[in-house]
Amino acid sequence: MTLELNVSALWPVLAPALAALTVLVLDVVLPRARTAHLWLAAAGLVGGGVATVPALTQGTGDSTGAFCLPSGHCLYAASSLTGGLQLLALGSALVVLVLTWSDWGRAGPGDRTSAPTTVLVALFLAATAGVAAVPAARDLGTLLVGLELATLPVVGLVALERRERRHAGAVAGAVALLTTSLVSFALLALGAALWVAATGSALLDPAAAAAAAAVPEQGALLLLAAVLVLAGLGFKLSTVPFHAWTPLTYGTAPLPVTTYLAGTSKVAALGGMIVLVQTLAGTSGFALLAVAVLAALTMTLGNAMALRQVDLVHLLAWSAVAQAGWLMLPLASLSSRAVQAAGGYLAVYVVATVLAFVVVIAVARRPGGGATLADHRALARRQPLAAAALGLALLTLAGLPPAIVGLVAKVVVLRPVAADGTWWLIIVATLNIALGIAVYVRWLSALIARSGEDTGWEREVPVASPAAEEDAEATTALPTSADATEPAPDDTAQATSAEVGATAVAGQSAYAMPWTHRVLILALSALLVAGSIAPVGIF
Amino acid sequence: MSVIDALALPVLVLTPLLVGVWLLVADRVGTPPRPGTSRSLAVAAAVLVAASAVVVVWRRPEIDLLWIESLGVRLDLGVDGLSAPFLLLTGLMAVVATLVPYHHPLSDARLGEPGRHEPTVALPVVGTDVPRPRALATYYACLLVVVAGSLLTFLTRDAVVFFVAFELVLIPMWVLVARHGDATSAADRDGAALRFLLFTATGSMLMLVGILALWGATGTTDLSRWAELAGSSLASGTQVVVAVILLIGLGIKVPVWPLHTWLPWVHATAPTAGSVLLAAVLLKMGAYGMIRLVAAPLPEGLATVAPVLAGLAVTGILWAGLACLVEQDLKRLIAWASIGHLGFVVLAIAAGSETGLQAAIYGNMAHGLISALLFVLVGNLKHQWGGADLGSPRAALREVSPRLGFVLVLGMAAAMGLPGLAGFWGEWGALYAAWEPGPGRTLWWFRGFAIAAALGAVLAAAYAVRVLREVWAGDRRSPAIRDTRGVELGLLSLLGVGILALGVYPGPLLDLTAPATEAIIATLGVGR
Repeated sequence: MTLELNVSALWPVLAPALAALTVLVLDVVLPRARTAHLWLAAAGLVGGGVATVPALTQGTGDSTGAFCLPSGHCLYAASSLTGGLQLLALGSALVVLVLTWSDWGRAGPGDRTSAPTTVLVALFLAATAGVAAVPAARDLGTLLVGLELATLPVVGLVALERRERRHAGAVAGAVALLTTSLVSFALLALGAALWVAATGSALLDPAAAAAAAAVPEQGALLLLAAVLVLAGLGFKLSTVPFHAWTPLTYGTAPLPVTTYLAGTSKVAALGGMIVLVQTLAGTSGFALLAVAVLAALTMTLGNAMALRQVDLVHLLAWSAVAQAGWLMLPLASLSSRAVQAAGGYLAVYVVATVLAFVVVIAVARRPGGGATLADHRALARRQPLAAAALGLALLTLAGLPPAIVGLVAKVVVLRPVAADGTWWLIIVATLNIALGIAVYVRWLSALIARSGEDTGWEREVPVASPAAEEDAEATTALPTSADATEPAPDDTAQATSAEVGATAVAGQSAYAMPWTHRVLILALSALLVAGSIAPVGIF
Repeated sequence: MSVIDALALPVLVLTPLLVGVWLLVADRVGTPPRPGTSRSLAVAAAVLVAASAVVVVWRRPEIDLLWIESLGVRLDLGVDGLSAPFLLLTGLMAVVATLVPYHHPLSDARLGEPGRHEPTVALPVVGTDVPRPRALATYYACLLVVVAGSLLTFLTRDAVVFFVAFELVLIPMWVLVARHGDATSAADRDGAALRFLLFTATGSMLMLVGILALWGATGTTDLSRWAELAGSSLASGTQVVVAVILLIGLGIKVPVWPLHTWLPWVHATAPTAGSVLLAAVLLKMGAYGMIRLVAAPLPEGLATVAPVLAGLAVTGILWAGLACLVEQDLKRLIAWASIGHLGFVVLAIAAGSETGLQAAIYGNMAHGLISALLFVLVGNLKHQWGGADLGSPRAALREVSPRLGFVLVLGMAAAMGLPGLAGFWGEWGALYAAWEPGPGRTLWWFRGFAIAAALGAVLAAAYAVRVLREVWAGDRRSPAIRDTRGVELGLLSLLGVGILALGVYPGPLLDLTAPATEAIIATLGVGR
């Protein structure tokens, strides 16, 4: 059997993978190199991003194939949507790399706090290559390998990286992620096997699927296969009832890795789902109903749980669950626009979520900072830039103007469902918009609150989180005296922690946000603003 | 002239947006502008908005740009007889809202101590609840963004842009209530702000469902195309369902009984300018949406549910009238009166005749002016009194501040619907329209509603007299309050003259709206 390679189409995947190899080789040659690895990783990600341009610029309906069989079916095919998803994955990975640059740059064998830079960077690049491969997969083998490549290295990242005080939960989080990914892999493998039994081939070919669905016995088998694969992907996307790992892992992983999980990894999960739905488009309504029910449950539970969170990482974790429901929503319809709509929503979601995480990290890294709602009180006064960017990100997630892009994204994903006439799903979804607003407005009102006011909920004892562990006590005293333009009034600091509060304030005025964070915040906000003014090319 | 034509529309939409954004940025980066600077800038923008609104209504320029290509959504802006009065009202209210003096929020420390509040004097230097001056740039920015969103809502001829603009006002209004509202406690204020946001967001999401349904059925988002089709592409059962969804969504915004519960609380909390914009502009967006999105594209659906809608409207009129008889908070009382007046508007829309639509628009305009006048007045009183509780002993306005007293009498008389004042034509027209309803309405149901609504008008007289007795009449002279003067007096006079003019000479406004309402009624036969 001859296989027609077409390497030029593969660069978005090959670039990070080659960078990972080069990093490992470089470590053998120059064991003391540190930042060289990071620069190599950045070059790999940027190179992969540039390589998506040919795929992006082709017209709708066209695709560039690689590994093509004599029959004409390609195992790898990059349409413009695929190119967009790959660019999204590589771009968000680049943001994570910048966020973690200083930590990983310092890491090394002699450093007691962390695994060596080489290992971390190689794992990171391998995972990114996997993420980039999934949306282009057109057969079960590529899909499964891509998904596992996207997941397993992240387990390493969660477990290996340690902070100054090692968080005991990190291993638990990594184990949760590992167990989940193994279970989901088992489901995927079972689904793949049934798929092959039903259609007679491992290719994700719409024609073969339609032919199999026409025969009753094969159709039933195909349906079972589809549901199992959907369940396997549901784990990755953290949809209900496969979401349980999300808050645990998000809450215990280092914050940049959490950003990776919430942003880049979602591209793989949704990419896989899009590939599957595209293949099943002509078959049966039952798989669609399953997607619809999952989507409705996921967004409702995610929003309901997010309502009560005090720790912002947990809040974002549950919000990620809710948004996973929104991502699946258009896939519950047969419309040809559905896939495009899901891709567009994913782009908006990833940019907004990554932006929110960047701000959370920037605030948490300040002296005396943390990641609870109380740490963000009156942020609009202390760090106007960060607060404005965070506000924009939250409004985008909530789907409220002035972040028009978020609202348009919601309209876009609702539209195919409305065109199908699945009214119950639309009503559930719209009520969830209101519920989601309640979630994000809690955070927003903390941002714009005046310092010194107490609205009650933020002062609840914060759930201990890794990010806040250093300064859990200091934070309660902080918000009262945070305006940098005024000297800290002594009487407002609470007696029990007045001293801590005072030092925290002193440290705060001396602390300047790293310029990389500023650049990231500005760039991501600019993306959202540009998308709000003219949502061209996203949907 | 052509240059002005070409510029008027972009200036109208972009001025408040750009100045608003500039103020927001200026408040955060570098040295914030002084409150006086922010205010002058905002007022200048508002005057420009009002002037270009007049030009736009007069010259009727149009803009048509492609906005989201893949969805076929266009930024198609233009004015017709239906949107023109709303546009003019918004322009006027922009000026009123930015000019109205800023009162610092009352909090528990300062409530309940009548006489201690000198609104024009610099702030007492106590407590952390006093906002620092820099917050004012944000305050004016929010007012301008609310104005921009409302203008866009009235100007657009595309349903998706309508929805986006409808939503655009939510966050700035929320900030106004949450940051600058009065309350006995911060939690109370946050509660009011959150309630506003959640209620109206739920409403607009339901509206979105309706828009998506119409979009799916007609294949376009062009509002004028929807009006031309007049529901002919929908089965009558679907028309009813879509109309119900849209009416519930818009009914939250208007608000229609029993979806009104958020309004009194929010009004009682919002700052004066916020209340003015909320009553005079935002609630109008709901009524305008009912005409644009329900009456025009879904005539048959509206006709089917009209008795229920009219029944709810009349219930609201009576309910609000009774509530006004016992309400102890003056600002809340004005909010209840608003619900009553908007009940007449909804009744007129439900009646489905040309008179009904005319009366609905007229009632909207009249209510805009009257409620703006009353909220400016009550805002002043509340901050001089240190609270709006009617139970506390106050000096009689007739004795200590005759100008304020006169304005209160004028406003209450107009709210009563006395002939010669603006409120009369809207209410009388609504009653007439309900007595002679349009096609597809059960005559006797609507006649019954007309009678009940007339009873509601009597209740309005009763509560107006109650307010005058408690606030205006009497011979108590302490604690003394300052009479109105300066800019505020100018605003009150302007609004008072507007109320009189609309009451004495209704012709121009009716002529302005007549072509549009005729067109909507004329398409009624198309769907059948």
